[in-house]
Amino acid sequence: MKSILTGIMAALGLFAGVATTIAQTPDTIAQIKQRGTIVVGVKNDYKPWGFLDPSGKIVGMEIDLVDEIAKKLGVKVELIPVTAANRMEFLNQGRTDLVIATMGDTEARRKVVGMIEPNYYAGATNVLAPKSANLKKWEDLKDRKVCAVQGAYYNRRVTQLYQPELIVFPAVPDALNALIGGNCIAFLFDDTLIVSTLAGGDQKWAGYEMPLTSEDPQLWAIGVRLTDLDAPFGKLIKEMSVDWHKSGKLLELEKKWGIKSSPYLVEQNKKLSGS
Amino acid sequence: MRTLSGTTDLPVLLPRRMPSATEWGAADGARFFGSRTWLFLLLAMSALSVAAQASDAPARAGIVETVWKWMPLISSGFLFNLLVSAASMVLGTALGVLLGLGQISLHPSVRKASWTLTQFFRNAPWLVLLFFAMFLLPFELRIGGLVIPLPAWLKAIIGLSLPVMGNVAEIVRGGIRSIPTGQWESAESLAFSRMQILWQIIIPQAVKRMIPPWMNLYAILTMATTLISVVGIQDAMTLTRGALVAEARTDLYLPLYFMLLLMFFAYCYPIARLTLMLERRFAVNA
Repeated sequence: MKSILTGIMAALGLFAGVATTIAQTPDTIAQIKQRGTIVVGVKNDYKPWGFLDPSGKIVGMEIDLVDEIAKKLGVKVELIPVTAANRMEFLNQGRTDLVIATMGDTEARRKVVGMIEPNYYAGATNVLAPKSANLKKWEDLKDRKVCAVQGAYYNRRVTQLYQPELIVFPAVPDALNALIGGNCIAFLFDDTLIVSTLAGGDQKWAGYEMPLTSEDPQLWAIGVRLTDLDAPFGKLIKEMSVDWHKSGKLLELEKKWGIKSSPYLVEQNKKLSGS
Repeated sequence: MRTLSGTTDLPVLLPRRMPSATEWGAADGARFFGSRTWLFLLLAMSALSVAAQASDAPARAGIVETVWKWMPLISSGFLFNLLVSAASMVLGTALGVLLGLGQISLHPSVRKASWTLTQFFRNAPWLVLLFFAMFLLPFELRIGGLVIPLPAWLKAIIGLSLPVMGNVAEIVRGGIRSIPTGQWESAESLAFSRMQILWQIIIPQAVKRMIPPWMNLYAILTMATTLISVVGIQDAMTLTRGALVAEARTDLYLPLYFMLLLMFFAYCYPIARLTLMLERRFAVNA
């Protein structure tokens, strides 16, 4: 019996004794090259930036950017699907080297992860709503049910400013389905994606519109660990990011993935290639 | 060991009498899949096709076709769910048996500690335990110079095995306690040591009683493995959602989730039938 008891104690102790160790990363580029793979956190549920094809591969505009970076470093790519809730966590834990996952560049997030500038995309906030809802201005959302997606940066701002009753879903399809099912009068989302959805030719959206003026233009950024931001790794990504703007690569990718070209990218392209 | 024939006034759990015991007892195997099951599956299938027809738009790939296209990917995710469930069950059972035995220990401190741990893990929400495992465990363990990576799926297995551990501990404790104390006393009078009584007399009888609830727990665990989709692991649930995003079609919502539901049903229902069969077989006839 004694041996069983010690066994139990040992097993329980194992759980308690697991100490948190966070890897220190002195030189990320060397680490990536030594590994032969760059590990990147991406979205796999946000069409057309990162989504699945039937073979299980993740594809999309952000994945194309990842491929560019991997090509530059001469390494293979490992994509780790992340969610808004865990992408910064994974990066800081060292599970990923980089995160390109539709991440909005906010002041609060800048304290947690390093945001690469220039940003690779800018979106703004709007809602998708049935024409019958007759929405005219943002204030009309007050106390009405509005569907949204977990972890989206605009949820908080819209809630504070216009006090809708936000119903939050884990992913876009769930929220769209709730909108069609009449569980909410509008779906709070990125404006370029709403345009893409409406222009998609699906009969389901015939009675829907994007009724409000887009607000809160928000830059999207590639994230690196804060320690990497001013280190060679961060600098390399920054240089590549400038190149993408200058060469029109980002505009080209936007077209490829059927995203309505965003004014931000056009402007950046002019600014950077003109000088 | 069938010492329970006749009546007893000891506080034991009497076998439940099934009204249809004779009907089921003989042809358990043949009735493994009752005709009702097939009826249910048939209904399910027709519901799927009705749903498909109801929202069929021309000019686009049919619903059944699209669901079929994603079937291999989602099935592979489902296999992953099964793998996670099996691994969590093994780990949870191993730990749970220790904890269950700890609860009947003669040392008050071991007994109390085991009891506390059991109650804690048995009465905590599974998803919360999963979150704790995901975010408290590091992504790699450094013991001296040895680096052991802890990938997300491993953490999920540990996270899910915690509630399993608590539940198995109770199953073990309950199973052992359900054996009449007279057995302990008679064995003691025959000079068996405590260890011998436990392993040679009590546990062999108790195991039979533990197996059905243990299998039930396994079926529940299998269904609960979809929880790991919440912490960002690519299981069948996540892949189904991914398929929905990629197709960007709201009419696929129900058919795709329904297919996932059928996969779990097809796996868990036979377990439930088998559990019922074993319960009947192990029932002590009064």
